[in-house]
Amino acid sequence: MPNEAGRAYGLTALCPIKHGAEAPQPGKPARSFAARTRDLLQDLNEAAESPMACVPNTYLCRFLVLDNVAYQGDPAKLDRLRSSYLVFVADLHAGKKSEEGLRRYLEGMWEHAEPTVRSLWEHCVGFDTVSSSDAFVRYVKRCQVENTLYFNGSTDEPLAEQLKNLYLKQEFSRFAFEHQGKKGAELQAAFGQFLTRTRPHDLSGPTWKPGARTLDDAVIDPNPPPQYLRSVPTGASR
Amino acid sequence: MPNIAGKAFAMNLITPIERWQAAFNKIQFWAIRQPILSFSLRGLVTLSMIHYARWAIVQPTEWPRLDESQPKEKLHYAYQLFFSNFNGSWAQYVDSFSVAIPSGLNLLWFRNVGWPKAVPEQPFHRYVEHNEVWTSHYYSAYPMAASNDVKSAQRVKQALTSFASRTKDMEAAAFEQAYNELLNELQADLSQMAPTPIVSLANAAVEERMRQDAEAGDEQDSGRAPAMMGGSHAE
Amino acid sequence: MSTPGSPVTLDLHDIQGNIVKAYSRYDYSHARYVLFEITDGQAGRGFIATLAERVTTSAPWGRGSTEERPESTLNVALTFAGLRMLGLPQASLLTFSPEFATGMRGRGAILGDDGPSGPERWDPVWRKPHRIHVLITINGVSRDAIETAYAFVTDITGRYRAGVRCLTGHRDPEGRNDMPYQAASAIEIDGKPTPKEHFGYTDGIGNPYFKGTGEHPENVLGGGKVTRRDATTRAGWEPLETGEFLLGYKDEAQEFPEAPMPPLLGRNGTYMVYRKLHQNVGSFNRYLDAVGTEYPGGKEALAAKFAGRWRNGAPVTTFPTEAEAEAFAQQWMAAKLKIQQTPKGPAREEAKAAFAQLNAKFVAFDYSKDLPGAGCPVGAHIRRTNPRGSLEFGEAFAFDTRGALTNRRRILRRGLPYGSVVDPQDDTGEHGIVFMALGANIRRQFEFVQQQWVNYGNDFRLGNDRDPIIGNHGTTPEGKGDGRMTIEAEPGGGRPPFLCGGMPRFVETRGGEYFFVPSITALRLIGEGMVDPT
Ligand code: HEM
Repeated sequence: MPNEAGRAYGLTALCPIKHGAEAPQPGKPARSFAARTRDLLQDLNEAAESPMACVPNTYLCRFLVLDNVAYQGDPAKLDRLRSSYLVFVADLHAGKKSEEGLRRYLEGMWEHAEPTVRSLWEHCVGFDTVSSSDAFVRYVKRCQVENTLYFNGSTDEPLAEQLKNLYLKQEFSRFAFEHQGKKGAELQAAFGQFLTRTRPHDLSGPTWKPGARTLDDAVIDPNPPPQYLRSVPTGASR
Repeated sequence: MPNIAGKAFAMNLITPIERWQAAFNKIQFWAIRQPILSFSLRGLVTLSMIHYARWAIVQPTEWPRLDESQPKEKLHYAYQLFFSNFNGSWAQYVDSFSVAIPSGLNLLWFRNVGWPKAVPEQPFHRYVEHNEVWTSHYYSAYPMAASNDVKSAQRVKQALTSFASRTKDMEAAAFEQAYNELLNELQADLSQMAPTPIVSLANAAVEERMRQDAEAGDEQDSGRAPAMMGGSHAE
Repeated sequence: MSTPGSPVTLDLHDIQGNIVKAYSRYDYSHARYVLFEITDGQAGRGFIATLAERVTTSAPWGRGSTEERPESTLNVALTFAGLRMLGLPQASLLTFSPEFATGMRGRGAILGDDGPSGPERWDPVWRKPHRIHVLITINGVSRDAIETAYAFVTDITGRYRAGVRCLTGHRDPEGRNDMPYQAASAIEIDGKPTPKEHFGYTDGIGNPYFKGTGEHPENVLGGGKVTRRDATTRAGWEPLETGEFLLGYKDEAQEFPEAPMPPLLGRNGTYMVYRKLHQNVGSFNRYLDAVGTEYPGGKEALAAKFAGRWRNGAPVTTFPTEAEAEAFAQQWMAAKLKIQQTPKGPAREEAKAAFAQLNAKFVAFDYSKDLPGAGCPVGAHIRRTNPRGSLEFGEAFAFDTRGALTNRRRILRRGLPYGSVVDPQDDTGEHGIVFMALGANIRRQFEFVQQQWVNYGNDFRLGNDRDPIIGNHGTTPEGKGDGRMTIEAEPGGGRPPFLCGGMPRFVETRGGEYFFVPSITALRLIGEGMVDPT
């Protein structure tokens, strides 16, 4: 199946946008559905955080409106698309059963970002009937085109693993630099504290927040241990 | 800016192929997918600039058509859709690909209409630019990580957890020796991450304006709803 | 004048001398760099036309050549603002590269010129980029030679004073900041010029070798591009294409580089980056002293690991211990002496050959046997700035050519140290390097090296780590340097790598600009106001 590479999955969906324009609002020029959809996408960039940060197992994803294809010039023939498409491209963790994983992923998207989904797809052909996560899954699958080749240049672990790994890498590097030259018992004790603090097996935290752009706001720990169990951090947090 | 999410850059390239050629290319891609022939992807693996990338060849009849109200596409060509998530700037990526794996690229874009070959670089550059589609919204779960960092982090985690269980009940002296071995094993993975160096001046300027706007917005109206939630209340 | 096996013949008489010749290798150990503003196009053109008559070319000197080596050299470079002031038509101006048109200051965010490297800290003369139009570089074999050439320049400046002004505002070691020129000279030890820079390293060893220069063919060793053969032999190297360094010739992408129009304006010319780089000698020495006591190999070894070369120039990948590097240096000296002591004849030729073989060890190496970096750290300065094929990470034939990711990132390094170190524990004062980098594409070559390889580490799989010596390290909230470097150990040996943290910024920018170095033909075209791209 070329849609996946290992447990990573590449969803490619071309969702046709309806022809026509929104009803004019008083004092505002009406926007075509395609232009309106693009406006909404562009507006996503203004928020501090992408709504896709809430969708589990999204490694990376993008949205764009494809209005047309490029013309290569004579002697090539001129092609024109008859619809604009909302293109949704996601790289996600699907697990071993990939199609099943895709379904879970899209359900998660509906569950965690329904308002965004509804508004982005609002002007797509046939989306009016979508009002449940099941229907959303079916809809996206109808819009899906099959990959001819999917290339994974990274890892295919669940996102929570990847983020925990990144957190650990950063913390362990700091630890190693700060404890260079320490010996035996002192080193061992410090490493023990490091494990207590970083909880390598606990994916819930401390870990990196999905979508974090700076080191200052990267680390999250939704379930911190009670104060009396917390060890002294081994270094500044940046 | 929307093409960029931290260290990741979204490239979208949509190029025409003769329909019969596309059918042939699909077979060729099938061959590339076979593990035994995957040497053709070794260059990509070694370049290690890509998180994930895909090629999808779409014949005219394969464009999703959801109901009768949607006009049927009538296209002369099949289209190759290429979507990649790479690290570095656009120019860097295009340069590196052209110089490092030109024969691989010539295979992957085999006989796409107007494909100039990956070398010389300037026509290739222009072809990519001409056929590129801009992203409107791009999200990465780890803007501070390149694909190298993600892979390195996986090695760190594995080595670290195995080390932790291996050394649990060790004497201090043995622990120290084992710790040194761990560092030796992980010596290529001890770098740290931080935000990306700027990708382009234009991008940096947009980011800066957005940041200023966000700050100004916070001051003016701290109760402002998140920028986008539901189309209807955006008015 | 052509290299054997390559059809490229260059008109060296039309190419400025600083492109093909590293003057400091020809005993030009003094230099003066002078900036000019043009306020009137006509006078400016007269100035340029006059200079064109005196510009030093790349024509070979000495034996078998019609040219005698001059006491001093003179070269001319122009900024984008300068070209505009000189009246180049807009249609021509628009064909220069965007980064050149933007200028160094505008590209600061890419170059990492932040904090202590920010333009506020630059020499006054570099803070007004719109006024910087012409750069004249003078190199001389003696101070007197410099004075004579400078007097000549002053004289013609006077002749065109209606529209040409020498800009003041360079800092000098006496604490003035209104000097009319930047002085630079080789660091002298016991009264003799040396190839040292202020951190104590031997500099100016590695430089690209490209087709058509008529340079000694042996220089392809280490200077050319790597093949898949043994890098200690000639078969391990091929000359780079001319178009990487000169406009109007085929480059490594099998095409002519992008160049300004009309073609005569660009051909035989190139771009040049000028950077005045201050060296925080005190911080550097203190860091080496402090961390050198912890580093198993000691302070000198630490310094060698930073640079990738011992301070005597021996590459650390080939000579992993101080003793080996020392022994090599002594052999080298002895071999050199032997040439002088041997009478002319076959014995002398033999001595010369023996010396050449030793000398090649400075440059004829790559990192193919040292991929993990136990010899030369992956993050060392010379490995970052010229990875020599190691970016294939040992995956033979992963790329169409082994040097693929390196060959288009090479730069011709020119320039000299400036100032002197009075107190080795002191950062302040005037001491550093006037660094010049020439190449056909500033963005692809210098800027890429500076941004991606010096101030970032992803291509080496080193995350955001920077070049230890010249990286733009920041400061932590506690005020310590945040620079880091891993000094790799032998893999599998159970010995840990050595981790250098807390590095402050050792090198800071104090000015600079992007220039175009026209051919003599182009200088005449510009001087005569005849540039016409239609
Ligand atoms: C004060 C600043 C600098 C110092 C002290 C310094 C020092 C050195 C030293 C000691 C060497 C080894 C000698 C040799 O191979 O010639 C070297 C080589 C080199 N440096 Fe620098 N450097 C400085 C700035 C730069 C900058 C700004 C760049 C480019 C962005 C650069 C690029 C190179 C290159 C390309 C080599 C030759 C590497 C090779 O071919 O193996 N250097 N430098």
